[in-house]
Amino acid sequence: MARVLVADDSETILLLLRTRLELAGYEVETAADGQEVTERLYKGDRDRLPDLLLLDAMMPRKSGIDALRELRAAGVDTPALIVSAHQDATDANATTDLEVSGYLTKPIDFDRLLDSIAELTRT
Amino acid sequence: MSPSLANRLRIGFAIGFAVLTAMAVIGVGRFIQQRQDFEDAIARSYQVEMAARVKVAEGSGGKVARDTVAVQAERREELRDQISSDTRDTAILVAAGLIAGLTGALLLFSGLIASMRRPLEELVDAAGRLAAGDRSARVEVGGLSETATLGAAFNEMAGELELEASRRDRLDRLKDEFVLTASHELRSPLTSVQGFAELLMLERDSLTPKQVETVEIILDNCRHLVRLLNDLLDLARSDAGRLAITPKPTRVEPLIDDAVRTMRAQTEGAHQILTQQVEPGLPLIEVEADRIRQILVNLLTNAHEYSPEGASIEVTARVVDADVEIAVTDNGPGIPETQLEHIFERFVRGDAGLTQRVGGTGLGLAISKSLVELHGGTLAVESMVGVGSTFSFRLPIAGEAGGGGPARAIAEAS
Repeated sequence: MARVLVADDSETILLLLRTRLELAGYEVETAADGQEVTERLYKGDRDRLPDLLLLDAMMPRKSGIDALRELRAAGVDTPALIVSAHQDATDANATTDLEVSGYLTKPIDFDRLLDSIAELTRT
Repeated sequence: MSPSLANRLRIGFAIGFAVLTAMAVIGVGRFIQQRQDFEDAIARSYQVEMAARVKVAEGSGGKVARDTVAVQAERREELRDQISSDTRDTAILVAAGLIAGLTGALLLFSGLIASMRRPLEELVDAAGRLAAGDRSARVEVGGLSETATLGAAFNEMAGELELEASRRDRLDRLKDEFVLTASHELRSPLTSVQGFAELLMLERDSLTPKQVETVEIILDNCRHLVRLLNDLLDLARSDAGRLAITPKPTRVEPLIDDAVRTMRAQTEGAHQILTQQVEPGLPLIEVEADRIRQILVNLLTNAHEYSPEGASIEVTARVVDADVEIAVTDNGPGIPETQLEHIFERFVRGDAGLTQRVGGTGLGLAISKSLVELHGGTLAVESMVGVGSTFSFRLPIAGEAGGGGPARAIAEAS
């Protein structure tokens, strides 16, 4: 079963994402911000990396973009989807080197999200 | 303290008046004196002649008396010549004085006009620049006190305007920031509401019909809110000069197909006939496809929502000059002339009893207009009450000279 690490600073949205993804059959881990994402991945066993990252672009402490930049620098090549409030929030030029697999805007189109996840976690 | 124009004029007038008066008084005085002397001399001459004539008549004067009579007649002749020459001299003197005085006054005035001209020209120039939007336009304060006062007043006014404009700019920026932030912050809770409502709908089999209807209402309103937020965001971006497009050579037909497909379910629901008529062999246009689709969907949504059941809606595309013209025509109720002039303003919506089921934001046309203009075109409307409405816009053909740089943004709001 594919594992997805979801990061968002809103607990409600985390609950929503967890519920929808679990309903679709994924194993879901959650993080409240980018800092938590990087800490967990650094501390955790490298062999137990999630199959997909679903990161909110704007979060306090550390944004999803900054977390992803750190992870890429550390050699983590897990596919990542970025969720932002609207397309202005993420400058596509600033993330070209981060190998982002897709961008989603809020409110999240779950049909699109689940399609993307299915495609990215297909083994 | 600068010299005052009024003071200079006063002094100039006083001197001129004094000179002219003096000339006149001297002239008239001299004339009267000469006349008096002349008349006295003539009178004296007659007296002498009369005395001589009496003597001649009495026969007592002899030759001397007869000579005197003749001499006095000659003397009066000389006096008459003298007076006319004296009068002429006086007249010449007075005339010369008058001419000198007037010349002096003229020189004085032309000097004054010259000294006013430069500050006034500078003022006219600065006012022109200010009107043209140069908020830093000021004049050098100097010259006569009147022009100096005028200059200082102008500078003060220009300063006020500059201050007011910068205050307005700041408020505009705050407003744009506010809309951007609000639209951003509202999205998270909206995501939750919509997401959980969708979650409920995943289990619609275990919901009662009443509950399903309730959730559908929630979802309908979520979609409306999203549309409103997107529209507000577009407008704020457009106002802030941040709405940018990346035009690429694009085929017209798939764009129209796409928009028509998006609208099909809604128009069929209202038994409206939605058709498209695209001129065969249309050239590529230089546009950002998503934005043109957005404009078309906006126009089609309006046509759909404001037209009654069974109405016809048609999308056409054809070449006009160096552009492709796309038009959306409906045979709906039409727009009264009084509303037509405000139709592209924000939050202006067509009235009539139709508004009940019209779910628009009142921003669609304002945004469509901005987007068309961003592509270098204009959005036009033609409408007649009882006949229908046509909204049309032209887009540049790709590959034409000057057509479409890499990216264009609405001119920075100055």
